[in-house]
Amino acid sequence: MKSEHLPIIEVKDLYVNFYTYAGVVKAIDGVSFTIYRGETYCLVGETGCGKSVTAKSLTKLIRPPGRIEKGQVLYYREPGKEPIDLLGLSEEELRRIRGAEISYIFQDPSASLDPLYNIGYQISETMYDHGLISSIKEGFLKAVDILKSVLMPDPETRVKNYPHELSGGMKQRAVIGISLSNNPRLVIADEPTTALDATVQDQIMDLLKKLKKEKNLTVLLITHNMGLVADMCDRVAVMYAGRIVEEADIYELFKNPLHPYTKALLKAVPNPVKKIDKLESIPGTVPNLIYPPPGCRFHPRCQYAMEKCKSERPPEIWVSSTHRVSCWLYS
Amino acid sequence: MAELKRFLVRRLLTFIPTLIGVTFIVFVIAAVIPTDPARMWAGGEKANPKVIEQLEKEYHLKGSILERYYFIMYKLFTNQMVSPVTHHYIWDDLAKRFPVTIQLTLIAFIYIVLIGIPLGIIAALKRDTWVDTAVRIFALIGVSTPVFWLAYLLIFLFFTQLGWITLAGTPKPDYSITGVPLIDSILHLDFPMLAQILQRYSLPGFILGFMGIGITARIVRNSFLDAISADFTEFAHARGLKKMRIYKHILRNALVPVITVLGLQFGGLLGGAPITERVFGLPGLGSYMLQAINQFDYLALIGAVFFVSLIYLTANFIVDILYAFIDPRVRY
Ligand SMILES: Nc1ncnc2c1ncn2[C@@H]1O[C@H](COP(=O)(O)OP(=O)(O)OP(=O)(O)O)[C@@H](O)[C@H]1O
Ligand SMILES: [Mg+2]
Repeated sequence: MKSEHLPIIEVKDLYVNFYTYAGVVKAIDGVSFTIYRGETYCLVGETGCGKSVTAKSLTKLIRPPGRIEKGQVLYYREPGKEPIDLLGLSEEELRRIRGAEISYIFQDPSASLDPLYNIGYQISETMYDHGLISSIKEGFLKAVDILKSVLMPDPETRVKNYPHELSGGMKQRAVIGISLSNNPRLVIADEPTTALDATVQDQIMDLLKKLKKEKNLTVLLITHNMGLVADMCDRVAVMYAGRIVEEADIYELFKNPLHPYTKALLKAVPNPVKKIDKLESIPGTVPNLIYPPPGCRFHPRCQYAMEKCKSERPPEIWVSSTHRVSCWLYS
Repeated sequence: MAELKRFLVRRLLTFIPTLIGVTFIVFVIAAVIPTDPARMWAGGEKANPKVIEQLEKEYHLKGSILERYYFIMYKLFTNQMVSPVTHHYIWDDLAKRFPVTIQLTLIAFIYIVLIGIPLGIIAALKRDTWVDTAVRIFALIGVSTPVFWLAYLLIFLFFTQLGWITLAGTPKPDYSITGVPLIDSILHLDFPMLAQILQRYSLPGFILGFMGIGITARIVRNSFLDAISADFTEFAHARGLKKMRIYKHILRNALVPVITVLGLQFGGLLGGAPITERVFGLPGLGSYMLQAINQFDYLALIGAVFFVSLIYLTANFIVDILYAFIDPRVRY
């Protein structure tokens, strides 16, 4: 944790529901966390635990049937100054922040790009709509430089290419270029390499690391990949069924996991810090978030579950200044 | 652009085998029906054998299939083919009727575009509300209403009761640029003539397009919803594009499938033209075809099929050009 403890984003008690025909999906249930300037903060957890919804909620990108029910997202535009609550802003005010100060990189680059416009145009329009350039044409010149900075091969040609003319890795480079075109402060990368081949994954992660250093970015990284977590992150939050169950700095989490879910998760994937003999799967299934288990949402799968766990939500317990856990075992 | 030109020329060349194929199929079907065309033409059971023999010779009825086909096409194109039933030059008749069908289908098509597309967009924007349901029901009514029934109902309303439309004659200006009065009168800014044409054609055009309006509205709705919920739209929001620009992305992507459907709709319109023309007494290719079938005048039928196919191919040709402009993934 670099950053002299200056926060850039503070999420407070966030609740998000999806109103589906089957019922109300309580996707995010009281999530709070802080991202500090200059760090890489990671969200990990099984599929469907709410990582993407959390990420999209930060700039209110949740679309119907989803709704942000409660919470605050405090954004510290200037270090140490008064924050603004992003959830209280108008759509136009948010638009000016999205892509310009807080930008996104999504999972599937093939789907993120509009197939009918070339790469240069899509980079240009992103700068144009934030007033960085005065014409789309000017943007094309800048786009070449941007493509260079994301190590796109042959940027002068590629700038005029359409998405279908690029490989998956090149498309993700283009998406990263778009995301960084307005020099944002915070980049939210939601599984940026999941849709790519293994070798390309490494290249893209190396690129992100390099750009983060060059541009002094803060990164919120969402991933399933514990290897990536160990490689990239400063601090990690483990999510389970719409809640953060544990948060710690990276060494602490791998060495001394406290929550039974975190322990199980670390046993289920190759551990980059501590060698483990045999990978184990976590027994049970991910809960249905329309009828989530009462009390601790993990209790039906937890081998240490007590009576209390079935009825009362565990409090947030700070076991050290950098490590918190939500579990009755530690109260 | 040189690429585009090559593509267009190549695309135009595919007209030739298609037209040959279509006319040949119609010819073969006519040729294998076990009747004696010469006898039918000469007056049926009591026909004079001499006349029959003469007709057989004149129209090469005893030759091989290929010979007969070649004979028909050659005579048609050189305008030497006289219908054995009407005793008119077939090509002349077709040329006279061609503009009627073009105008009818064009007007029907305009209804489809002007009503179908906005309805679809509204339904998409108001998805899952009563507006959406109303459009859905309208589309259902469109595909399930018998054309002739609706036609008579509206004739009763607009002709008998209100007197807004005419049901006889085919307005034609005394100048000619394209040969299609509707287009010519617009080019000449001849509004009285245009009004006459619309009085005659707008109801049959609406009837003909009615089915397509609903179908198009549904397709537009769905392709809009697809584009609105697409990942690239979400990313467009995430990178803070302005609202109008996001709509532009959505609109253009939604148009791609819509253009295909509009091209296909044209085929449907041409298929529906015979009934509509018949009901409204419009002397177009469709009623000409019906007449030719009734009189076993397959020579005239093949000629009409040729023209109708030509309209259809041209419509699809235009669709392909639009595609090439809208969608960079189309390779030529
Ligand atoms: N549009 C939606 N409609 C209904 N439910 C939704 C919608 N989007 C998300 N959810 C629900 O919200 C929960 C969290 O979804 P989210 O996409 O955040 O998961 P995730 O952690 O990103 O998973 P993954 O690793 O697969 O990306 C899931 O249970 C999902 O069913
Ligand atoms: Mg996700």
